[in-house]
Amino acid sequence: MNSQQNATFQQPMQPQGPPPVINTINLCKWYGNVIGLNNFNVQIGDGITGIVGPNGAGKSTLFKLIIGSIKSNAGYMGVMGQKPWGNTKQLASIGFCPDYDFLPLSMTGREYLEFMGGLHAMEKTHLKNRIAELANIVKMEKDMDRDMGGYSKGMKQRLKIAGALIHNPKLLLLDEPLSGTDPIVRRDIINLVKKLHKEYGHNIIVSSHVLHEIERMTSNIVLIYKGRAVASGKISEIRALIDQHPHNIVLEGKNIGALAKSFLDQPYTVSVGYNHNRESITIRVTQPDEFFDSMPALLENSDCKLDKMFSLDDNLESIFKYLVGW
Amino acid sequence: MDLNLNAIYSGLYAIIKYSTKKILFKKQWIITLLIVILMGFVMGYAGSQDWADADILDAGMELMDLLILSFILPIISMIYGASLLRNEIEDKSITQVIIAPLDRSISYLGYYISLVLSLSLIMAVVCIVGWLAFFGQVGVDGDAAGILGTMIVLTTIGSAVYSAMFLLTSIMFKRPIYFGLFYAFIWEGFIGLMPGAIGQYTIKHFIRSIGAGMTDFGSLGSYMEADGGIYGALIMLMIVLLGIGALLFKNKEFP
Repeated sequence: MNSQQNATFQQPMQPQGPPPVINTINLCKWYGNVIGLNNFNVQIGDGITGIVGPNGAGKSTLFKLIIGSIKSNAGYMGVMGQKPWGNTKQLASIGFCPDYDFLPLSMTGREYLEFMGGLHAMEKTHLKNRIAELANIVKMEKDMDRDMGGYSKGMKQRLKIAGALIHNPKLLLLDEPLSGTDPIVRRDIINLVKKLHKEYGHNIIVSSHVLHEIERMTSNIVLIYKGRAVASGKISEIRALIDQHPHNIVLEGKNIGALAKSFLDQPYTVSVGYNHNRESITIRVTQPDEFFDSMPALLENSDCKLDKMFSLDDNLESIFKYLVGW
Repeated sequence: MDLNLNAIYSGLYAIIKYSTKKILFKKQWIITLLIVILMGFVMGYAGSQDWADADILDAGMELMDLLILSFILPIISMIYGASLLRNEIEDKSITQVIIAPLDRSISYLGYYISLVLSLSLIMAVVCIVGWLAFFGQVGVDGDAAGILGTMIVLTTIGSAVYSAMFLLTSIMFKRPIYFGLFYAFIWEGFIGLMPGAIGQYTIKHFIRSIGAGMTDFGSLGSYMEADGGIYGALIMLMIVLLGIGALLFKNKEFP
């Protein structure tokens, strides 16, 4: 990580006062030769926090370490001030909704929640009321007595969240809750996550490999890449950090050479180069916002007819590469 | 270990109820049905034969001993015991149990109890079907009823011991069925028949020894009768197997 990222990276501290929800110091987890997390340092406080990273970055490994289903190889992890491995008592304060399907499909939604409530030693009447409340929160009232085998992906996802909430945990972990869902379900789950924090006070850690999905839920994010927390904090700070790095933008169209020349005079231009067909150029810019603002005027003056424009750096992978200095 | 008794009871009850239902009504029930049919067919066929010169009670006990204690009990135990936890680990449905604030050794005990209950019930059905198919044709009296009682008791004891062993293998091995096949067919089926003391190192031997004290019929009636040592060894074996299984389950990572 370069010095700029270090400036915004929140170095973990030994807990003083109320412990943070999650605190890790040089946390490592590997599976044989495969790295899950590598010197992972992060401090997560109250509220909703998004864990963003491409597939295989280590998001699920982090969740499994938090719930104590796997054991770290090195480093420290504190979950609300306690070590999670072997600490089954603490699971009374944590609700976990994994990214994979594990629901027993021959059961009804109600039977599943009763089973979960039983595992959490909930008293019968309290459990009955809680199931009714959760069915209302996740909007599943009408489907609670149907076999889960007939549920849609979205319904299963909502029921998984209900199962994770059955014991009213302080901390809710949602691993890729939007994965494989359609836009309507996605919108519903995003609203549900916000509601669970705002109205019910749950601290929530939610993961996704899609940054803009997380942005709709929270402004606090942790970016994970190849097992490391490459940045954490407010999305605006991280975006500003990203914008300081050169962006590669491809432009295609007629008379593109004239446009290329006009870019050479601009202060944000680092380099301009023709691509293989000479009707396309790649321009490297330092301040993408200024580049996009100046585009209309430059186009007008250059007599270029632009057919296509796209950034090579819009995907999350390239953001992470910037942040780790590759 | 957290000794909150209410939490332990509630968690145990939830796991036992969920797991027992799963064992009895999941896809393996077809295997059980086939075995019950096989038992009924073989015993029914035997019952239809002419037994004029033979002791019916000896013959019935001998058949049930051979079919149930030597074959069906270890095989059914292996099928259910080796797959119960392993299947949940593979399809990740174990997640719901490992994220509960219940000591994992208690969860393991819950699985064990549900396995014993289910196997005992299945084996009781197998015994009753076989017994009815045979004695229903040749005549039922008090001694015949005693044979059924003996078999039900022995299969219940057997279920408890085999469950402890095969549940442990489902935590120890990724493919526990291979160990199960080795144990059921090679160890109990072959080594157990060898002359000398080695034949006594099988669960089947312990169960038959206990059975020898409960019946006078068949070869079981003349088998080496169990003394306190055998009971103690069997109980110790169960505790050791359960203890190791609970310890492994407690310390197992579920990636």
